Amino acid sequence: MANEYSSFQLLANGILKENPIFKLALSMCPAVGISTTVSNGVMLGIAVLFVQVFSSVTISALKNFIHPRIRIPTYTLTIATWVTVIDLSLAAFFPGAYAKMGIFVKIIVAFAIITMRLEMFACKEDVSDSFWDGLGMGLGFMVGMVVIGFVRELLGSGAVFGYDVLGFKPLLFFILPSAGFFVVGLMMAFFNWIEAVYAARKREVKQ
Amino acid sequence: MRVIQSFILLITAACVLLSTGAAFGAGPVSSTAFGDENEIILKFSTPVDPQAAAAPEVYTVFEEADPDIRLAITGVEVASDGTQATLVFADSLNTTQKHIVTTSGIGGVASASFSVAKSYLGYLISILISALLINNFVFTKYLGLCVFFGTAKRKETAKGMGVVFTIVIVVACSMSWVLYQFVMKPFDLNYLQIVIFIGLTSLTVQAVDTILRKVNPVLFKSFGVYLVLVIANCIIIAVPLLMASNEYNYFETFMLSLGAGGGFLLALYLMSSVSERLELANIPPSFKGLPIAFIVAGQFAMAFLGFSGLQLF
Amino acid sequence: MSNILTIIFRLTLSCLIAGTVMGTTFVFTNKAKKANEHAREEKVVYSLLGYSAENPIPESMGLYEVFRYVITDAGQSSIGYLVPAGAGDHSEGFTFVRIDLEGKYMDSNPVTISHEKVREQKDRDVAIAAAIGGGKDIRFADHTIIVTDSGSRLAYLLSGKFPGFKTSIHIMMALDPTYSVLGLEIMEHEEDPGLGAEIEQDYFKNQFKHKPFETIKSIEVAKAPLPPEYFDAMEGKVDEEAAIEVMKQYRDQDIYALTGATISSAAVSNGVRSMTKKFAYRLDILDRVIKEQQLQVPF
Repeated sequence: MANEYSSFQLLANGILKENPIFKLALSMCPAVGISTTVSNGVMLGIAVLFVQVFSSVTISALKNFIHPRIRIPTYTLTIATWVTVIDLSLAAFFPGAYAKMGIFVKIIVAFAIITMRLEMFACKEDVSDSFWDGLGMGLGFMVGMVVIGFVRELLGSGAVFGYDVLGFKPLLFFILPSAGFFVVGLMMAFFNWIEAVYAARKREVKQ
Repeated sequence: MRVIQSFILLITAACVLLSTGAAFGAGPVSSTAFGDENEIILKFSTPVDPQAAAAPEVYTVFEEADPDIRLAITGVEVASDGTQATLVFADSLNTTQKHIVTTSGIGGVASASFSVAKSYLGYLISILISALLINNFVFTKYLGLCVFFGTAKRKETAKGMGVVFTIVIVVACSMSWVLYQFVMKPFDLNYLQIVIFIGLTSLTVQAVDTILRKVNPVLFKSFGVYLVLVIANCIIIAVPLLMASNEYNYFETFMLSLGAGGGFLLALYLMSSVSERLELANIPPSFKGLPIAFIVAGQFAMAFLGFSGLQLF
Repeated sequence: MSNILTIIFRLTLSCLIAGTVMGTTFVFTNKAKKANEHAREEKVVYSLLGYSAENPIPESMGLYEVFRYVITDAGQSSIGYLVPAGAGDHSEGFTFVRIDLEGKYMDSNPVTISHEKVREQKDRDVAIAAAIGGGKDIRFADHTIIVTDSGSRLAYLLSGKFPGFKTSIHIMMALDPTYSVLGLEIMEHEEDPGLGAEIEQDYFKNQFKHKPFETIKSIEVAKAPLPPEYFDAMEGKVDEEAAIEVMKQYRDQDIYALTGATISSAAVSNGVRSMTKKFAYRLDILDRVIKEQQLQVPF
């Protein structure tokens, strides 16, 4: 156990410092593809959170058992197993929401973020740290999806969580499929801008 | 450009191989085709009696899936030399369905059945075009974006990645098809789809890696780096899943995977061409890097919307 | 060498564990999935008929499922219907009626299968194959629910799917005994959000409501803006009586296509048209055969 982390640090790292969507720019497909509503974001976020946490914990618990030469295949097998579990469960218990997400639940298996966390973190650290790290990453993904979903749903259909809040539809463009790219691009630029402004202000204060 | 040329060559070769054409057994009709939206054209092998062939009663036509529903024929136009008849129907035909035409007493044959369908080759090519342009996996299905934005910076990288990906996806899909048809379906193991398809992909990547390393180390040096990235591309898992849910046969699977790989190559090439120019452009600092790449991709996505509804065959 | 053995052993064990986890999940979720699917279908059926949880279906009503099969025997096709047997309330078992392509009665065989198992395609196929003898190719085509109220027919419920703009669209609809549309529900689709996905909105699918068979037979889509009063009536923004009045005016008109989604709109209206026409044609034949042969059916 090379490092000592507090669980809060690990959580915050996933949500803010290394946010999978806005900072690492990994697992972008659902962020563009099905982020048309907040509820889609929440559902897929839960699925990713589940897969990330369970895979991290599994790999971390079995790290002494996994032969280093077949590390990657074992990761793939673990992730695929948990994706199958969440896929079958969602299909059985939330058929409506599952139908909206289409193929995106199944392709969680190819998300770079999950394998990356297993390789960089879970295979070295102990179970509880891996749990918090997985939770942080999963929540970070969920937050990203919800934020994009909120913007698109509010501007595109004037609603949040399916409830009409504005009473009119400001810009239909935002829920059209190809608008996902624009929304994500503009939001990334927006966060970059805030960071730049923040950094400039810090420098001024120092001087 | 070499890459694209060889890609087109490959498609042509595949088409030639598959163009066996519709085979007809012995009978009065030598070929059939859909005419206008409510017409079927029959060509006779030997000239028939125009008067007998002009009676609507001698033909019965139905869709293969609904044999009990006879389609109403309003008229038959027979060419004066008796080699061709055009059946005119009351309603427009559903040309995606295979139709069965039965003739009775034409050309001296008591009863003979013929199928009318759009040419299978055309159908295969439409699958390819659909995966390549209309339903391009990157721009209209939003899959494989991580690798897409990661590698679409240089044309060289784009070509390398696209070609390696196409090869791997075609091989992996072929294996997936075999396993799906002969193991997963008969034994009711469909819930193992995700594990098996991703496993086969890893296997293919590993195999290509080993073979390339031994056979052509020079090629491996330039292409080896992309192999690792293939497995992180969601398209590689989406295509077998699509194949399984559509119950494609082997040729259709081949065309789908070729189209998916080619579509990815096309998307990467287009994007990298723009990226190379963007480096020289004066972009607002907050937009530098990924944000502007997303906006460009969004514009491509809107342009690709223009392909929707495209029908060649 | 021992390295290889360790790797093989550990990989096998990992696969075994993974397989157990997935298999267990499958067994548990599969049951729930089927139950949920059935519950959802039932809910749609009730809502199409105008009933809900607060307003339950009356005791006097009966729902009878009819399964249609295409049978190929030595190159000859025929149509088979699996219908419930017995008259009145005490329907027991099923009968498989075969009708040839000309609409003439061929034969009927009793099929022994329970009412729970008849919904499982595999069990049903096996039971039918046992009843009509082997060597024939049987292919399930579609299923219909016939709704009766104290012996007289109230409605027919049809489900079917057809190609949409992206993938197939799965619908369920209710017809009254004159084949006028009572209601339409979109069960599954993958159309684009904001465009084709609007087919599941009330203002589109309620356009089909109360259209008579004569109109449905030749229905097309019209590329014209939807009149606002019609929109309000279908979305339930005005009171019920006024809505019925407004919808009456548009009863014989074509379907207003969705803005930017003409292909999806046309797909649905073509699908509804062909499903209704085919169903009406087939049911007339089935009814005639049942009457001629004096088969005992509860509907």
